Amino acid sequence: MIIQRNSAKCKDLKNQNEVSKFSKENDWCPDPNKPLEDKMKSYDGAPQENQLEPTEKLMPSDKYAERVSLNLHLEIDLVFIGLLVLALGTRLYNLEEPRYIVFDELHYGRYVSLYTKGVFFFDAHPPLGKQLLYLAGHIAGYDGNFTFDRIGSPYTPNVPIKALRLVPAVAGSLLVAVTYQVMLEMSFHQWTAILAGLLVLFENCFLAQSRFMLLESIQILFGLCGILCTIKSTSKMGASCVIWLCVGAVSLGCCFSVKYSGLYTYYLAIFLVGRQIWQRIGSKESTLHLTLAALWRIIVLFILPLLVYVCVFYAHLIMLPKAGPHDSVMTSAFQASLQGGLASITRGQPLHVAHGSQITLRHAHGRTCWLHSHAHVYPVRYTDQRGSSHQQQVTCYSFKDVNNWWIVKRPEQPSLAVARPPDAIRHGDIVQLLHGITSRALNSHDVAAPASPQSQEVSCYIDYNVSMPAQNLWRVDIVNRDSEDATWDSIRSMVRLIHVDSGSALRFSGRQLPSWGFHQHEVVADKVITHQDTIWNVEEHRYTKAEDRRERERELVSAEMIPTAVTQLTFWEKFAELQYKMIAHAPDAPHGHMFASEPAEWPLLVRSIAYWLSPNSNAQIHLIGNLVTWYAGTISVVLYSIMLALYAVRRRRACADLPIRATQRFYDAGFVFFLGYLLHYLPYYFMDRTLFLHHYLPAYIFKILLLSYVIDHIYYILQLRERTKPLTHVFIVCVVVWLAYVVLTFNKFSVLNYGNVDLTESDLINLRWKDTWDFILHKKS
Amino acid sequence: MSAKKPKITSTSPNYKIWWTAFALICGVTFLTRFYKVLEPDHICWDETHFGKMASWYINRTFFFDVHPPLGKMLIALSGKLTGYDGTFPFEKPGDKYDDARYEGMRMFCTTLGALIIPLTFLTIWEMTKSLDSTFLGTLLLLCDVGFLTLNRYILLDPILLFFMSCSIFGAFKVRSLTDEGYGPFSTRMLAWQTFLGASLACTISVKFVGLFVVLFVGLRTVADLWNVLGDLQKPVSLTIKHLIGRSITLIIFPGMLYVFFFWIHLTVLSKSGNGDGFYSSGFQARLQGNSLHNASAPKLVAYGAQITLKNHRTGGGYLHSHHHLFPAGVGARQQQITTYTHKDENNRWIIKPFDREAADGVVVVRSGDLVRFTHLTTGRNLHSHRERAPITTKCMQVTGYGEDGVGDANDVWKIIISGAKDGEEVQTVRSRLMIVHYLQACVLTTTGKQLPKWGYEQQEVACNPNLRDKNALWNVEDNIFEDLPKVSFEAYASGFVERFIESHAVMFQGNAGLKPKEGEVTSQPWQWPINYRGQFFSGSAHRIYLLGNPVVWWGNLVFLVIFIMIYVINSIRDKRAEALGIHLQDGKERRLLNAAGWCFAGWALHYVPFWAMGRVLYFHHYFPALVFSSMITGILTEYLLTSIKSYLSTEIGRTMYHCVMGVAVSTTVYSFYLFSPLAYGMSGPLAHEPNSTMAGLKWLESWEF
Repeated sequence: MIIQRNSAKCKDLKNQNEVSKFSKENDWCPDPNKPLEDKMKSYDGAPQENQLEPTEKLMPSDKYAERVSLNLHLEIDLVFIGLLVLALGTRLYNLEEPRYIVFDELHYGRYVSLYTKGVFFFDAHPPLGKQLLYLAGHIAGYDGNFTFDRIGSPYTPNVPIKALRLVPAVAGSLLVAVTYQVMLEMSFHQWTAILAGLLVLFENCFLAQSRFMLLESIQILFGLCGILCTIKSTSKMGASCVIWLCVGAVSLGCCFSVKYSGLYTYYLAIFLVGRQIWQRIGSKESTLHLTLAALWRIIVLFILPLLVYVCVFYAHLIMLPKAGPHDSVMTSAFQASLQGGLASITRGQPLHVAHGSQITLRHAHGRTCWLHSHAHVYPVRYTDQRGSSHQQQVTCYSFKDVNNWWIVKRPEQPSLAVARPPDAIRHGDIVQLLHGITSRALNSHDVAAPASPQSQEVSCYIDYNVSMPAQNLWRVDIVNRDSEDATWDSIRSMVRLIHVDSGSALRFSGRQLPSWGFHQHEVVADKVITHQDTIWNVEEHRYTKAEDRRERERELVSAEMIPTAVTQLTFWEKFAELQYKMIAHAPDAPHGHMFASEPAEWPLLVRSIAYWLSPNSNAQIHLIGNLVTWYAGTISVVLYSIMLALYAVRRRRACADLPIRATQRFYDAGFVFFLGYLLHYLPYYFMDRTLFLHHYLPAYIFKILLLSYVIDHIYYILQLRERTKPLTHVFIVCVVVWLAYVVLTFNKFSVLNYGNVDLTESDLINLRWKDTWDFILHKKS
Repeated sequence: MSAKKPKITSTSPNYKIWWTAFALICGVTFLTRFYKVLEPDHICWDETHFGKMASWYINRTFFFDVHPPLGKMLIALSGKLTGYDGTFPFEKPGDKYDDARYEGMRMFCTTLGALIIPLTFLTIWEMTKSLDSTFLGTLLLLCDVGFLTLNRYILLDPILLFFMSCSIFGAFKVRSLTDEGYGPFSTRMLAWQTFLGASLACTISVKFVGLFVVLFVGLRTVADLWNVLGDLQKPVSLTIKHLIGRSITLIIFPGMLYVFFFWIHLTVLSKSGNGDGFYSSGFQARLQGNSLHNASAPKLVAYGAQITLKNHRTGGGYLHSHHHLFPAGVGARQQQITTYTHKDENNRWIIKPFDREAADGVVVVRSGDLVRFTHLTTGRNLHSHRERAPITTKCMQVTGYGEDGVGDANDVWKIIISGAKDGEEVQTVRSRLMIVHYLQACVLTTTGKQLPKWGYEQQEVACNPNLRDKNALWNVEDNIFEDLPKVSFEAYASGFVERFIESHAVMFQGNAGLKPKEGEVTSQPWQWPINYRGQFFSGSAHRIYLLGNPVVWWGNLVFLVIFIMIYVINSIRDKRAEALGIHLQDGKERRLLNAAGWCFAGWALHYVPFWAMGRVLYFHHYFPALVFSSMITGILTEYLLTSIKSYLSTEIGRTMYHCVMGVAVSTTVYSFYLFSPLAYGMSGPLAHEPNSTMAGLKWLESWEF
């Protein structure tokens, strides 16, 4: 049975891209309640052609596929254009006002400046969003010479505010149009789609988030586009299916290259495609065909986003060649690969560590610090009554200091001068390390370390004649050696220093010493030698100059001719290190931020965030939602859950309340909107960090979609039965009235988004619909 | 599940084998568990905590702990019954017990720990009705050295695991009864449900991780109800009856039991102890020996009264000042204000109207009043100004300012009773006060951070411009004022419900506070299933090391992966069969896979949540998941063997089946023999040295024995 679309009947539906729809209900639905279902259908008053026939994806056939791909219609959707224009109007209005740093523009602005100057920085978020901002700034001719010092300080004329804010604003506008498209694609009434678009349009929180240099609107746009394309691909066949999935995959890759929370959108897309494959497994297709279909989808969905992600980082590293303030987060090798900074210090330093080398030893992974000693001893007794060796302290110190210098010495050789050719230290060699300033040797012995008593203390040896012999021999164990007699190279070699007498390794324990140790970090010798904190590398390096200085120097000059360009890291090495650091980076966001909120508070909009307050009037900007939409959305989630449970139980008892297609649509909506909402919302309950309302926005867009669907569904139920049909008119009136209320509320609160009106105290009290919202008022002076 | 199960009756030949296997498992369990159970005779690992707490129960002194009370109460009860008098100090691991009667407590824990094994046997049997799976699954658990070690000492884990096993067993018993069609209110059904409910309540009353087993049973119950609902032969009312029966026995009854355990806990601990400071004034008034017990003070606070202000944050101290100034460079050089957790003369303040030295006659302080606080011993006023607080720089500094109560306008504070209207009278203990600085519009709070040495390591007090600060609530504790009639503190003492709720708030806060410090090496969830690193229970001459039997653990890990693969393949096969109209038969294999599926759900529920936890984690948190994991291995081994057997001829198939089973059993037992010194005590050199008894057994570098 093939129902050809009757185009005359849907003249108000200008958007339809599909040319024809196929209904195969009778084939794919071996429903025992068939008669009942047919009866229901006769009551189905909704125009047939508006409903998705989900049969295409279930019943793929090459013949149909060809027909679809051959007839490609391009139609202009006036509603789409209309929504876009409206959105652009609201989002772009007075974009350069206020001319002050608003909220997180502080950070993103800083990053844009650093991109402009090409100075390396470290941020725990991926770079695409910042790159887009930079691109806009670059085109508008921003020179990077503005210090983003604090929220609320005024911009100078050299900052192209409008251009910088344009990217999020345009993204935020497109979001309205894409929401409309997504809703259409799910094949609900066009009115439902328009409703969804309008709700996003008249949502204050999206407006506020789109008007400034913030990344959420970009992230949400990419995410929603990705979902849209994925849905399109699941309902299409042949080439268009492949193309849509590819576009979707790229878009999703962009999404999580803006912010990692975009990963949840990506998971949703994977789930949707997985569901499609799963449904096809239940069809009569040949196994080979199925396997291929699954295989290419998996490849596209995994490779493309990853490729985008890697490319974004490639661009990131290319764009930032210079050393900058965040260098010390990275390893020495990474730092040395940047222009300036460490590279300028280490340029021309000898490569091979040899007998007589003066070195600084950096703790290679994790916290940045250098092996350090100073002329202070361990206290005789610690506060817990344990004794110490009372020898000179050895610590790990986080700042560059003259006491970080050590001299490498072979135990049998008395002179410290570097021989010629230099007597290079190799993997497995046994050395002593003399502290440069105090000339004491690095030592360890069977005394419990001050803060980690299970490990051995490390000290610089002082002979007290108390039958405690020096145990100052260390074996050099090069972790990343390529051969067994590899030389110990500065920067490049990752070494473990194994204490010869005990077999323990020199290790940064992570604990801080008390005030007697100047709160520096403890260094111990640990029996567990495989720990990552036992790895060190030589950072600065020079050869000890002997008495005959001039001659030595000449030799040293020739020694320095050893290739120094070794610290060319490949992209993959840098990429891997950056990824590792981003994952390991613990955000030290301040706990108890004034505007922080809990996930449980979001659905009821308990807290808002103050973004900006004008210095000379009470004009202000807040991130605050449209409470009318917000509450309706929360109610819709509850309603949907109840209906879901109800339908499931009814179905379990073999009662079909809905026609089969409506059921199908109900679950489709659930899998995209409801699941999307939960996926973007629930994980925050398990996050142990300071959260803000804007973390909720990616979930909120799905909530608005769900809300539109629930309204659509209620309408559908009402007109399904003859008895309730008259109520549909009442319902429509209710929805229109409610929508008007939404628009009014939006209008009322938009002063808090544009920040262009000086508000009086009574205005603010008027806007303060909840006691928990905090608005700011200048004190009367 | 089909109701046609091999029924064990006394006449069937299986009957004998079943009992032999069960008896064998029980016998070996008790032999292994009680062998050398009293060694070492010193405190091992966390016995120091739980032993100490048992002593406190026996002495009835109040203490604070992050775990709910049942486990510790049971330990205390067993100690009391076997003659332990609660005098041993349990100072630190390694201390000799000497004359202390620790045997009873240890035997009690070991007994519960031993009972887990037969319970597991019964559970797997209930799930699969297949002796091979049952035997193998149980044997794995029995032969796990880590499980043995953990369940032999005075710890909460054996108790927790015991109740958890009871719950799982109960859940599957109830499922069988449901499948067999027992009525929702039949005696058998109700009895087993009550047993299940009681086990759940006990599990969660031992440790909060019991929540996971509650979730598991919840899932199981929903599945049962779903099955009942799906039977179109039966009316819906049957499902509703089942629902009602289960709500009563599995929700209401355990809830009441849980509250009852707390009631015992709070009733037994009636004397003041070292945990008082964590609780509010009202709570402390219940404890004998606490200064608030049997004390009396005026009910209302009047101007001119000498008061102490206690911070409402859990563990919060008293507002305090002393004759010392903030050091140079730390805000204004005025007198320090801190909070101090001990009772002291320097905690006293006089409350005055903001504009006069004293009110005319007796005037009661009301919410919304403007007041000043003058420190009794130094005569300085509580003061704040636009200077940064010493540690929390977002807040303003709070100092003592002025001479003999004469200061400036920055000494004025507004008192607001939280959640009350202006004009309400301020009451001793009961009223929760916000103290807002009148000029700076910030609220008096304590940040809980310790001041450096110059502040005698007391806690910082600051004025927070964020009025929503949760720590900014105070209550008046002492209230000395002659002209008002005194009321006994008995009136303020919290009732049971208040104390119940408060102890939970304190426990949750305590749990949330167990965060790893920077750089501290903690056990990570990914290390657990691979048995990456253990935990020393006892050092020196009698070394005991908590480490899983690697054969069992790594086997379990492999079978977890195998399970996922089998499950996916099977699902796809079913789906395809359905589409192509092939009818797959319901057989033993399906039942085994279903059982393994539930075990997998249990394993995931007891393991995955740890990934999302921010608190300090330990290796032994994995052991509940291990129970499920071992069951999967037992069940899947049989599943795989049966599947392979069906491809072979009967003769070869049976031989193969028995050979593999034999190898599996003997490998497990032999590995237990090899690694048993970990649990029974090692002495001599460490394992990496050649002459050690454990030489060659250090298979991973990270093991420390």
